[in-house]
Amino acid sequence: MSERTRDQAQQSNGSVETSHHPATDPERKDKGYYGIPPIKHAHWTWQIPVYFWIGGIGAGVHLFSTIAQILGHKDEDLIRASRYTVLGTMILSPVLLIWDLGRPERFYNMLRVLKLRSPMSTQSWSVFAFGTLSGLISARQAADDGLLGDDNLLVRLVKLVPARFLSILSLPVGLNVGSNTGNLISATSVPLWARNWLFMGPTFLASGLSTALSWLSLVLHLTHSGEKKTMHTLHRAEKATILIEAGLIAASLIRMSKWSKPLFSREVAPLFVGGTLIGGILAPFALLFGKESRPKSILASVLALAGGLAFRFAIIKGGRISADDPEAYFTFASGDSAPQPEDKV
Amino acid sequence: MATGFLTDTTVCIGCKACEVACKQWNQLPADGYELTGDSYDNTKQLSGTTWRHVAFIENPKKRRLTGDVDLVALAEGVTEPLPGGAELDALGRWAFMSDVCKHCVEAPCQQACPTGAIIRNEFDNVYIQPDVCNGCGYCVPACPYGVITQVPHDGRAFKCTLCYDRQKDGLEPACAKACPTDSIMFGEVEDLKVIAAERVQELHDKGYSRAYVYGTPEVGGTGGIGGNHSKFILMDEPETYNLPRHPFLPQEKVKGGTIASMVAGAVLGAVVALAFRDQGR
Ligand code: SF4
Ligand code: SF4
Repeated sequence: MSERTRDQAQQSNGSVETSHHPATDPERKDKGYYGIPPIKHAHWTWQIPVYFWIGGIGAGVHLFSTIAQILGHKDEDLIRASRYTVLGTMILSPVLLIWDLGRPERFYNMLRVLKLRSPMSTQSWSVFAFGTLSGLISARQAADDGLLGDDNLLVRLVKLVPARFLSILSLPVGLNVGSNTGNLISATSVPLWARNWLFMGPTFLASGLSTALSWLSLVLHLTHSGEKKTMHTLHRAEKATILIEAGLIAASLIRMSKWSKPLFSREVAPLFVGGTLIGGILAPFALLFGKESRPKSILASVLALAGGLAFRFAIIKGGRISADDPEAYFTFASGDSAPQPEDKV
Repeated sequence: MATGFLTDTTVCIGCKACEVACKQWNQLPADGYELTGDSYDNTKQLSGTTWRHVAFIENPKKRRLTGDVDLVALAEGVTEPLPGGAELDALGRWAFMSDVCKHCVEAPCQQACPTGAIIRNEFDNVYIQPDVCNGCGYCVPACPYGVITQVPHDGRAFKCTLCYDRQKDGLEPACAKACPTDSIMFGEVEDLKVIAAERVQELHDKGYSRAYVYGTPEVGGTGGIGGNHSKFILMDEPETYNLPRHPFLPQEKVKGGTIASMVAGAVLGAVVALAFRDQGR
């Protein structure tokens, strides 16, 4: 204690300022340690949200075309576009995923074990299985389209592939590729994601389907192919899916309650409110009403596709902000809001 | 047999010998020279290259003590009733805490790891096998204590190994060995539990009624994680040490989320099927 302080203390009638036991200070409001985040955010870069988007499109396209086949809908253009799309997404997906690894050359370790409790593990296996099956299905399509040459041994072999059967077989795996991405992020300690464990998977799946339908109608429009009734079905399904998606996002926001704040932050709001809610849901929904026209439909598709991408980025960025906010984590991990073992489901 | 740590923060003097010993033994790279201005702590937090971290907890806000305060008694850390009714908890004025991986009983990082790189080794410690990890980074946001990060330039994720190599040779971990006040104790979890209970009782008897053990399923609640093999004796709210009050097991809801997704898949499938209605004709 310096003399000066002692003097000051005496002057001020014996009262002195000291450091103290933080918990007993009624004035103390801040919690935590110099604002340093108590958990670490995921390091994932742009490849991951782009993968979420592309994987969702693949899953949705597969769902639509498989149901079309089951119902005996015979639009060759639709089936062709669908099969090649799924193949494309399943080629891009592993590329993006491997790109994001810290040690890309060890990607095959993903298939070293299967862990049902790890959505990252089930996701890897699903992409692997879905990709393989879609490769076979597309090979059959290519053979049918005469892309593999005519009547050589390869073509004859590939024509043995039961494409329709494989499509149905791969439907559950494909759906898992679309929804599991949501479960993947909610199985973390990040409040914004973890709180929404119930709706994250369904929302990602619905959003994936709406982008997929938009993609299909866009492709068919631009290539001037596809039957009229296919278009009509696509539009109908699009409208319904967008409604479901909007409902699920609303339910998610309610569930995330105060932990949804990052989605409305300055950094993420343009993506979430502007890109997703207005650009990706409201605008396409409005455009799909009234008389069907080609330009309107194309615009709606582009908007819905961009909206789906914005949504993935918004959720990933929001999660980063949520993880970096000590207040959010401490409030989340101090009450019953965090997932508890005794919770239902 | 499970081994673990007991970190008694009440005797930590903030010398950071454990941090240095850990860096040296495990040959961890430096994190750069940064002056944070956060007390005397310039290493901030645990990470893939900092496996022990000593927090310096002081509160910048001052409390005004009134009455005829004996400043010498204050400086000497007296806990008896102070003159003039002033209160001061000497130990609470500046708290240090050497943080480390909690070696969770149901480890979220281990459950998250898709490659099976994270295992429980023969000492029942949570261990990342560096030759298996492919740097997917999923364990990073899974850990409820912010322990793991992916190390740039290396790409893989790292954290405290509880000095697996030293344990194999019958040595205690480097941090516990270096700690001059035995704030860091290493041993079998069951033994450490007893020591922790005794120490907390001792502190209570001395009047420090706020002392408690963090990291047991009963106290400091570890929802779903089933407790920690590295425990702490704390004197303040967990948040003060940047620890969550009720950490939870993030994988608890994977099943529920998957079921919800299946329902959603069925509903969306039905919607698509309905959209085809009347189209076949
Ligand atoms: S504290 Fe984190 S890194 Fe350590 S075992 Fe638990 S989950 Fe894994
Ligand atoms: S970064 Fe390594 S240790 Fe962490 S989850 Fe991925 S593979 Fe496992």
